[in-house]
Amino acid sequence: MSEHSLEIRDLHARVADGEAILNGVNLVVPRGEVHALMGPNGSGKSTLAKVMAGDPQYEITGGDVLIDGESILALEPDERARAGLYLAFQYPVEVPGVSIANFLRLALNARREEGDEIGVMEFYARLQRAVKALDWDESIIERNLHEGFSGGEKKRSEILQLLVLEPSYAILDETDSGLDVDALKVVAKGVNAARGPEFGALVITHYQRLLNYIVPDKVHVMAAGRIVKEGSKELAMELDTRGYDWVRVEAGLNPVGDDEHAPRVGA
Amino acid sequence: MALLKDNAAVTEAAVDALIARFGEPDWLAEERRAALRTYAATPHPTSRDEVWRYTQLERFAIDGLELVDGPRDTSVVDRVSMRILDSDAEAALVIKNGEVVQRAGHVGESGLIFTDLRTAVREHEALVREHLYSVVNATMSKAAALDAALWTNGTFLYVPRDVEVALPLGTFTTADRGGLSAGRTLIIVDVNAKVTFVDEYTSEPIGERLAHHAATEIVLKDGAKLRYVSLQNWSREVVQQNKIRARLARDARLESLTVSLGGDAARAEVEVDLEGPGSESEMLGLYFADEGQHYNQYTLQHHASDHALSDLLFKGALRDASTAVYSGVIVVDPGAQKTDAYQTNRNLLLDDESEAVSIPQLEIKANDVRCSHGSTTGPVPEDQRFYLMSRGLRPEVAEHVLVTGFLHEVMSRVTLPKLAQYVERVVQAKLGVPGVKEKL
Repeated sequence: MSEHSLEIRDLHARVADGEAILNGVNLVVPRGEVHALMGPNGSGKSTLAKVMAGDPQYEITGGDVLIDGESILALEPDERARAGLYLAFQYPVEVPGVSIANFLRLALNARREEGDEIGVMEFYARLQRAVKALDWDESIIERNLHEGFSGGEKKRSEILQLLVLEPSYAILDETDSGLDVDALKVVAKGVNAARGPEFGALVITHYQRLLNYIVPDKVHVMAAGRIVKEGSKELAMELDTRGYDWVRVEAGLNPVGDDEHAPRVGA
Repeated sequence: MALLKDNAAVTEAAVDALIARFGEPDWLAEERRAALRTYAATPHPTSRDEVWRYTQLERFAIDGLELVDGPRDTSVVDRVSMRILDSDAEAALVIKNGEVVQRAGHVGESGLIFTDLRTAVREHEALVREHLYSVVNATMSKAAALDAALWTNGTFLYVPRDVEVALPLGTFTTADRGGLSAGRTLIIVDVNAKVTFVDEYTSEPIGERLAHHAATEIVLKDGAKLRYVSLQNWSREVVQQNKIRARLARDARLESLTVSLGGDAARAEVEVDLEGPGSESEMLGLYFADEGQHYNQYTLQHHASDHALSDLLFKGALRDASTAVYSGVIVVDPGAQKTDAYQTNRNLLLDDESEAVSIPQLEIKANDVRCSHGSTTGPVPEDQRFYLMSRGLRPEVAEHVLVTGFLHEVMSRVTLPKLAQYVERVVQAKLGVPGVKEKL
């Protein structure tokens, strides 16, 4: 495959000593592209995101994940991050007592050699650019990491960190869930600011509405722990109208007939 | 079970020698002799005693140790000088193995007395006589009796009525030799007066075992306010037992912070008697044990009066097969109605080998009170660790951030900025954060 890509090869994973959740996922995001990963609840989207970032509560039972041709599965979560991978969490944790600014400085310096720490001016310039791109107030960087943040603020913080850390590849795990349209637009603005030839992203979402603002180069549909369909951005529109059952049937799975008919929100 | 043994050097002759050496008045000589008799008559604690349960008693053994009769050398080492420079204290006293070796800075407030206890016995005898042993006395425990009989020096602080001391004061207690020693702090804050005082215990490696006993007596008169910090960062050969007790009159307020970072083993007893209506006691505790350290804390929130408040929060982190015991009791006397009393202890275990025991207790004999107590002990939340590492933080840096986060609940309430920075630096050094070393 392409030398500059995030590649998932026949990936199988389960909850440690538990049920299998990923059953052979194949997916490639070339650098410079933004792909969407859609699918009904329980299809394995979030598990895929966490497995790629190295969440210890999952066990890989087969397959591989590669960054620019190099397998990352033997790496610890911090090593994967330093290799260029970024996960925007669906549920970011709170860490009291550590300001966003200090946390990001630690994260940036972790990517540099000892003695080559980022300069104060350069750091704040970078932070200010990111804050501005998200229409945020600068005082946010002095607040403790997610302490007392609303759900929307936490999601915005995940994108702020993405803009400051400048990863090669980002996975956005349902960053749109729980956001109103205004917040959604801000988050999309941030992601679009990161777009460029040196950045690839996999945007995981349940709904099509986010994709009105972050237009994907390709759409992958996941069901029962594997990719069952791929297509262009029009596929997202079709899923929004028709739900997911028809994709499941096409893939030889039983229709679930649940709430997967997404409400039409957004532009 | 290892039984504690007597120390052959703790004798009437030793007490008489102290009295003669210091030229003490008869009333004090008699107090010391009576304390020694109480000491001899008091059995050593055993792990069957409720307040000593789970304590590794043998680590506090004193048998075989010689009585310390002064330092090897009276110089003030860099470590202590740096601490004074880098502390919030405007004026400081340095006491090394019982001898005053430095008086730094000065206090401007008129009528304020800040000196060593031996000098105070000579120069302010009536004040000392009225209050010494009025809060911590020999009958309270074997260790308290030992201290009452054998203390060699310590701090005397008196703040007169209506005087608000603008800048913090502090005593740095240090040592350059091992043995058995005892020190004492006596603080009296008169009506509507206000002061901040820091008792800091620190030493360079001594090379031999030191068992230090400390007693801290605090008298807060009506409307008096005291911020009191007791911080021990002894070198690893030292074991310390410290009983801190305060009596609060009407509308008095005490904000206390007890920090344990150093030593081999340390026991801190932090006790308040809320004797006047409207009195308030905030009690914070922070400890971080590594490399097998054993920390032991006992707290008492005694509500003797109605309409008083006590709010206690002790938090500690442990690693490298270290152990901690927290045992605390809220006592509400009959008639102490409208009491507000809260007590929380939380422990963070950074590895599987470390252990923490938490025993919160309530004894409530009034019926119109608000009391709560709670404790938690657990490992670092894996989801937090994963989150931080997913941003590229190396495991040891992630751990540091998590410990900082855990201790933040206490640290955010510490109002002395330099002290807070120092604690943070020692914690970082203990965690081995790259590029961070504890400054001298």
